[in-house]
Amino acid sequence: MAVRQDASTGELVDDGDKNTPQLEPDMMQIKVYSPYKVYFDDQAYSITAVNATGPFDILKGHHRFLTLLIPCELIIQTKNGEEKIKISHGIMYVKEDRVTVFLDV
Amino acid sequence: MRRPNDIERDVKSIGTLVELTSVFEGIASMRIAQIKNQVLQATQFFDDLWEIYSQLRVDNLFRFGRSQSDEVVLDKDLYIIVTAEGGFSGDIDQKLISTMLKTYDKDKHDILVIGHHGAMQLAQRGIGFIKYFKMPTKDKNINVEPIIKYVQKYQKTNVFYQEYISLMVQDVKRIELSAAVAEQGKQSETNDKKEIITSDNTIFEPSMYRVIDHLERSMLQIAMSQLILDSKLAQYASRFRAMSASHERAEESQGDFKLELNRSIRAMKDQRLKEIINGLRKSKVSA
Repeated sequence: MAVRQDASTGELVDDGDKNTPQLEPDMMQIKVYSPYKVYFDDQAYSITAVNATGPFDILKGHHRFLTLLIPCELIIQTKNGEEKIKISHGIMYVKEDRVTVFLDV
Repeated sequence: MRRPNDIERDVKSIGTLVELTSVFEGIASMRIAQIKNQVLQATQFFDDLWEIYSQLRVDNLFRFGRSQSDEVVLDKDLYIIVTAEGGFSGDIDQKLISTMLKTYDKDKHDILVIGHHGAMQLAQRGIGFIKYFKMPTKDKNINVEPIIKYVQKYQKTNVFYQEYISLMVQDVKRIELSAAVAEQGKQSETNDKKEIITSDNTIFEPSMYRVIDHLERSMLQIAMSQLILDSKLAQYASRFRAMSASHERAEESQGDFKLELNRSIRAMKDQRLKEIINGLRKSKVSA
């Protein structure tokens, strides 16, 4: 939280974290990347993946979650439609409407 | 004095050498820039993984991702040497092997070699190694999984590699692999108060320990890839240095040859002039 005192009014103003863009309603920030390539880094409605238990979806408001992914096709629902990324394996970390998928590890 | 035609031929051939060394110099510096960029990208990835791992850790012990494995760990240390693939690496590989041999004891250590040049050097000295891997030709997506499988079998692993200090300076370095992971992690750590990830606040699948093992293996892989990339960087820098020196020498020789050519042409002209003057004198005397 970036709280500052307004020079003219003297009131405390919360500008939010300027490094992280505000999330749109029903959207999460998703980043899918490997050590040498970023495959997706944007806001999206959901992400579908597969772990040892089976296929699952992550939506906004999901509980904090850390899982190992098995070979599958990641499906990301964005404003402009579906994005599909084939993966061999990876790690998914979900925390506070932010999903990070580490690939090739 | 040599004839101008012969010297001109030499000027042309040395000109080709000047161009060639300049091209190789350019390729080496381009590769250096590419690898540096990749090392930066991979470091960012490692930092993000380390952040999660450091929030998960219950103690400071690095288990090489084998806490859930039943395999017996060998009571030996593994030495990994990262050398060049070809013989254009100068004397740095020999230096690297000499450094490794200072502490090597065949009853206590096993050697794993990356790079053909290192394997050749060891064979020439009659030293055995358990496995040899070719130095990856590509600079991206290096698959180090087979190496990590060996690493997990041993108590401890030391890596001997060429460290890139600057374009002009490369050195041999020895590092314990788990220390390499921790060192890289420390660099990424900030003073911010860390959250702790536990099974109380996070869902783990398949289990917390399996996830920790996987993270450790992943970070080992990244650290190992970084060491290989660092070695490649040092090798390209060494090649760049060699090409720069050759380019400089070729340019000097080209200058010398051009000077010799001009002198030879001048000498030939002088000779002709002398002959003409002598001819004129003789014709005057006879007249």
